[in-house]
Amino acid sequence: MPTDVPTDVPTDVPTDGLTDVPTGRLGDRPTDPVVRADSLLVGYGGEPVCAPVTFDLPAGTALALVGPNGSGKSTVLRAVLGLLTPADGVLHVLGREVDEREHLFRAEVAGVLDDDAYFPALTVAEHLVLTARGHGVPDAEGVVDELLEDFGLAGHADVLPVTLSSGQRRRLLLAAGFARPRRLLVLDEPEQRLDQRMRSALAARLRAETAAGGAVLLATHDPALLAAVADAAVLVGEDESPVLDVPEAVRAIRAEPPR
Amino acid sequence: MTLTATPVPTGRQVRRYTAARARRRGGASIGSLLVDVYTVLITTAVGVGLAIGLVDGVREVLPPDTGGRAAGPEVSLPTLGALVVLALVGTVVSLAGRLGPVGVGGAEATWWLTLPVGRRALLRPAAVRLPLAAGAVGAVVLPVLDLAVHEAGRPAPERVLAVAAAGALGAAALVLAAGVGQTFGASRRRIAAAGDVLVALAPALAVGAAVTGVSLPPAPTPDAGVLAGLGVVVVAASVALDRRLDRIPARALRESGSVAGQAVGAVVSLDSRELGRALGEGIPARRRRRSARLRPVRSAAAALVTADALLLLRSGRHLAQLAGAACVPAAVLSVPHLRTPVVVLPALLAAGYVATLATAEGARRAEMAPVVDRLLPIGARRVRWLRMVVPGVAIALWSVPAFTPLVLLGAQVPEWVVLGLLAAPVWAGAAVRAAYRPAPDWGGPLVSTPAGALPIGAASVLSRGPDVVVLGLVPVLVAVALGTVVPGVLVAQALVSALVAAVCAHVPDAA
Repeated sequence: MPTDVPTDVPTDVPTDGLTDVPTGRLGDRPTDPVVRADSLLVGYGGEPVCAPVTFDLPAGTALALVGPNGSGKSTVLRAVLGLLTPADGVLHVLGREVDEREHLFRAEVAGVLDDDAYFPALTVAEHLVLTARGHGVPDAEGVVDELLEDFGLAGHADVLPVTLSSGQRRRLLLAAGFARPRRLLVLDEPEQRLDQRMRSALAARLRAETAAGGAVLLATHDPALLAAVADAAVLVGEDESPVLDVPEAVRAIRAEPPR
Repeated sequence: MTLTATPVPTGRQVRRYTAARARRRGGASIGSLLVDVYTVLITTAVGVGLAIGLVDGVREVLPPDTGGRAAGPEVSLPTLGALVVLALVGTVVSLAGRLGPVGVGGAEATWWLTLPVGRRALLRPAAVRLPLAAGAVGAVVLPVLDLAVHEAGRPAPERVLAVAAAGALGAAALVLAAGVGQTFGASRRRIAAAGDVLVALAPALAVGAAVTGVSLPPAPTPDAGVLAGLGVVVVAASVALDRRLDRIPARALRESGSVAGQAVGAVVSLDSRELGRALGEGIPARRRRRSARLRPVRSAAAALVTADALLLLRSGRHLAQLAGAACVPAAVLSVPHLRTPVVVLPALLAAGYVATLATAEGARRAEMAPVVDRLLPIGARRVRWLRMVVPGVAIALWSVPAFTPLVLLGAQVPEWVVLGLLAAPVWAGAAVRAAYRPAPDWGGPLVSTPAGALPIGAASVLSRGPDVVVLGLVPVLVAVALGTVVPGVLVAQALVSALVAAVCAHVPDAA
């Protein structure tokens, strides 16, 4: 379940010169999709990596990006998270142009990419507490304890991430995505390095996310995860990027060349 | 699902939380911190002392500047000093651009930048780090340079202090200005390119000044007004940068942080190849080029040489490095006061080695990832011979403008040029030897020196390349020292060059 947070804001919240307290709400118009991409072109150095992408992601739904390795799925996700400037087209998140420099954007959009960097002297639990507290979650420790249990990290709460296996570190990153409030959750191949049980648990968690009104945008190569979570998909490709229904998307994944 | 106004901590609180947790497990005590500070201060002081002693020693053996004594084009010492300052300014700007100057990498990028907290407080330490480092270096380098170019004995202590202050403030101001540019969206590539242009301009201007006879007066001691002005610039730039820190996008912070982390790691491990990669490849390059038809490629050997040649010809940075290094001997020799083997020899060797490094990118990349080497049916020893071709040709071309000015020491132009051409295999061999050197060996014994512990194993690895330059160019050194090129020197250089090239093409059994 997405972490609900109280709406009462104390007046004595410390600031460091700027507005440290995200106020208001992005995309207040209820008709706005959480993500709107219209002929969105992404790439590096002005060179597009895939065909223009067009899709709407309404609240309470999940959209999957599928396509073979190198097709540009992660690049699209990076653009949605504001880590890449689109080369062309329209990209609105929560009703506004993407600008991750805005506090509100970072407060409402969560992303789990393939980062694998950790503070060398902070434990697994402390990484999650840092994330939860940094987002103003009132009972940060309680939320973190629950996440550690759900992601199979309870026995590793007090160890340093460097001692974890790659799969455990992946679970830590995923747990961080759920340790904070969000209206949009962006996941890049979340099934990577997860066993089947954890993939099923992740699918259930993402279904709960959309059921609670959250939006999920994920890139995946896992047909089971896609079938369990997504309401639609975009096949990101070099020549065109069509929107597919779920069965078509599952077939597209199964037709991918062996990885 | 609702997410409205939510109280979050300040950036400073996030920073302090992270630091406090890290301190609990860091195991660092105040005692070890003091020891570290003491070591750094002592090492820096010893280094500065050695530099001053070296400059003083060179000054003592320099001939007196009698003015108008020498033949040929001339540049005054103060003019050369000003141009060196220009090159230093360019270096600072270039490094600032390549390193960010504001960046956040690793865990901080992943776990801090996604928080909805004020980034100013999060980024403040990162924004201060580089200007402080630049200021510290400027405070040391500029007085040493001033000592080197000061014409009337040693500068007075007041002048040394004033020059040090000017160096510190000037260097910090440059980095802060680059940081302000970064907040306005100036790309790291442009900032670095601006610095590179200044560096390349310096030797070209030196040659221009020699040809046109332009001469600058000795630099006056920076007075209080100048220092106050620099101070105002530093404060203004600091305030401007601080106020706009939250305007730097996360992608720019991550890129800069990644490059800075790689560069710091390379420096700590004394890995100059990695440092070059961090500073050179950290700047996004053009992603597409028109593909060459590669008509000359008719064999595996030709493919290898062509790959190296294309790499060099498509790297503007390395071509500029070659051109700039070619101007250095002319710039030094155009100063009558410096027209002595004590200065010319180190300048020639340093410029030549800098030029050599620019030509061996293919070998360095092959050592890191021998993709092309493994694709081609060529033995390892022959690969090394082939990898010397492009550096050899490039350095042979470089030798013409670099060795021609040596005529000011004596002998005739053709003799110096022939000597330079005969020496080209030594440079090429050194380039390949340095490129294929193994990783530094940190397992060897430590030798205590006045500047701190010296790891012998690592030092011996790092000396691969420069060692054959020094040994293989003994005939050149003799010719420069004598101010003439006799036939015996040419024969000796040819023999030594062949020997050095053969040694550098040798592949150890373990390789």
